[in-house]
Amino acid sequence: MPRYAMVIDLQRCGGCGACITGCKNENNLPEGVRWSNKMTETLGTFPNVRYYYRPTLCNHCENAPCVRGCPTRALHKVEGGITAHDPNKCIGCRYCLVNCPYGVINYTWNKPHREWENDDAVIPDCTMSPREQARALDVPNWPLYNPDPDYNYQAIRPTGVVEKCHFCRHRVVNGELPWCVEVCPCDARIFGDLDDPDSLVNRLLGLFRAEKLRPELGTEPRVFYVREFCPCVYEAGKGMI
Amino acid sequence: MSKAWFGLLGIGLLIGLFTALTVVVRGLGVYNLNDVTFWAMPMAGYLFFALTAAGLTLLSSLPSIFGLKEYYPFAKRAALLAFAALLVGIMCKGLDLGPMSTLLNTVWIGLSPNPASPIWWMAVLYGFYLTFVLIKFYFINKGEWHTTRSWTGGLLALGLMIMAYTALSVVFGTADARPAFFGHFTALYFAVTALTSGMAAIVLASFVQTAIRGGMSHQEEHAFDKVAKIFAVMLAIALFVFILRAIIGYTSLQVEFQGFRYIAGTGIYQMELWLGLIIPLILMVVPAIRKTAAGKVVASVLALVGMFAGRLVMLLSAQVMPIGAMAETRPEIVTYTPSFFEWGTIILALSLCLMIYSLGVKYLNLEATPEH
Repeated sequence: MPRYAMVIDLQRCGGCGACITGCKNENNLPEGVRWSNKMTETLGTFPNVRYYYRPTLCNHCENAPCVRGCPTRALHKVEGGITAHDPNKCIGCRYCLVNCPYGVINYTWNKPHREWENDDAVIPDCTMSPREQARALDVPNWPLYNPDPDYNYQAIRPTGVVEKCHFCRHRVVNGELPWCVEVCPCDARIFGDLDDPDSLVNRLLGLFRAEKLRPELGTEPRVFYVREFCPCVYEAGKGMI
Repeated sequence: MSKAWFGLLGIGLLIGLFTALTVVVRGLGVYNLNDVTFWAMPMAGYLFFALTAAGLTLLSSLPSIFGLKEYYPFAKRAALLAFAALLVGIMCKGLDLGPMSTLLNTVWIGLSPNPASPIWWMAVLYGFYLTFVLIKFYFINKGEWHTTRSWTGGLLALGLMIMAYTALSVVFGTADARPAFFGHFTALYFAVTALTSGMAAIVLASFVQTAIRGGMSHQEEHAFDKVAKIFAVMLAIALFVFILRAIIGYTSLQVEFQGFRYIAGTGIYQMELWLGLIIPLILMVVPAIRKTAAGKVVASVLALVGMFAGRLVMLLSAQVMPIGAMAETRPEIVTYTPSFFEWGTIILALSLCLMIYSLGVKYLNLEATPEH
């Protein structure tokens, strides 16, 4: 049984957001929902400032507090240690949102993709309305609908349940990489098996001191961050009083 | 009881039913909730009513389980109120889950249990607790005060109350990701405020009943004064716990407590402090005011309003500061204003609770004691 993990090489990451848009397309995410996200910071004090970018996603923690707290086992562990979610068992209590220290679980507050039921044209008597566009394309849900996640999840999760990243389980079990890994133009996301000593994730974890988010909570995340993009140089010195 | 009163409750129920149907059909999108402030007004309603029910259950158990016979005049009334409060509290939680499709998924609590989850224990124990509170009232209403089955029902209701309350405290106590829920300190805060709101509810309900039915007997008056004194003591203890919580919240170096410190500067925190604790305490410790019916009523109403605000304070303190990726594109502290439908949930709960109690007053002789 593999133990899947992801290493994110921050030196390679260009902050383009392809992982975010790729994830939204692959998993039919509704407006406002991001399984793949980012945390940005402005470091320092003007004029000595720098932009810092860190991609985020579900950490698929070994000691997942969301799994421990879920009353119906809707959140559960599956092959490779992936933290999966069963919308048919989810009672919408949102205790996982309480327990997740990373802010990567979303609740579906409204009907997903309801904006495609809108009858108002963007430019009246000129463009189609979203509903007309969806009808013209002859698609069942919305123009960019991807049926693939239906393989072992629901392609579009219903209103009133939570949803989260599942490491593109529908792809992984078929021998494919998660879509965010596939679409990353900088090869900044590296996916693999922690139990395979020759996997690239293990080689990277041996090369660099990896950082995990909020390790003090004991959740044992399976997403590791290595290196840092920093083209900065400074003149060596000892400071002053 | 006047037709105007029942008419008012009827309007409240209609507003509430409209709310409930809208939520069940459209889902929680009609609330002003989001992925940052996701437990707010409906959850506060659940906590308020469920914890008030805990205080009332203890009070109704004083004569039968603990042998404090002077509290018999309150036992039946407190048992019915505990049932009504618990029922509407659970209803508030139900209206905080999602549309009908989500509500149907609750069968998985039984079919796919997770005993490692505090929420699972809470759901199961509150289910049994509600059942045994009803059974207890059923026996009391039949006049069975001292039968074995009545005593057993009462004991089980009390035991389940303690266990359900414990599970509720653990739900917040084990939330390591959100220290501003105050960890296991919440258990103490819940215990004290549950008893205080339970006392406030029984003082108010007793006065309303007296106003409707006429004067009290000597025994009732004596017991009423004792309950008012216990209410005053509980207010003092609750104020102590409130101060303790404020000290923890203000002195903690954990960044998450910024949420608490923000909420402490808002009106709901002041409501909890002044309406819920200080003013009622002053009213109840001055003997000349405590002895008057008006003093008791004002103190109990203010305490209940303040306690409700306190539930919201407790929930929002741990949520207004977004955590992890949720902080992206959001301000450091987010604001929250309840929508019409969130108020509607509370109106429904309050109206239904008062309707059950009012019908009890009218038809079930709530002042009955074993001597009668």
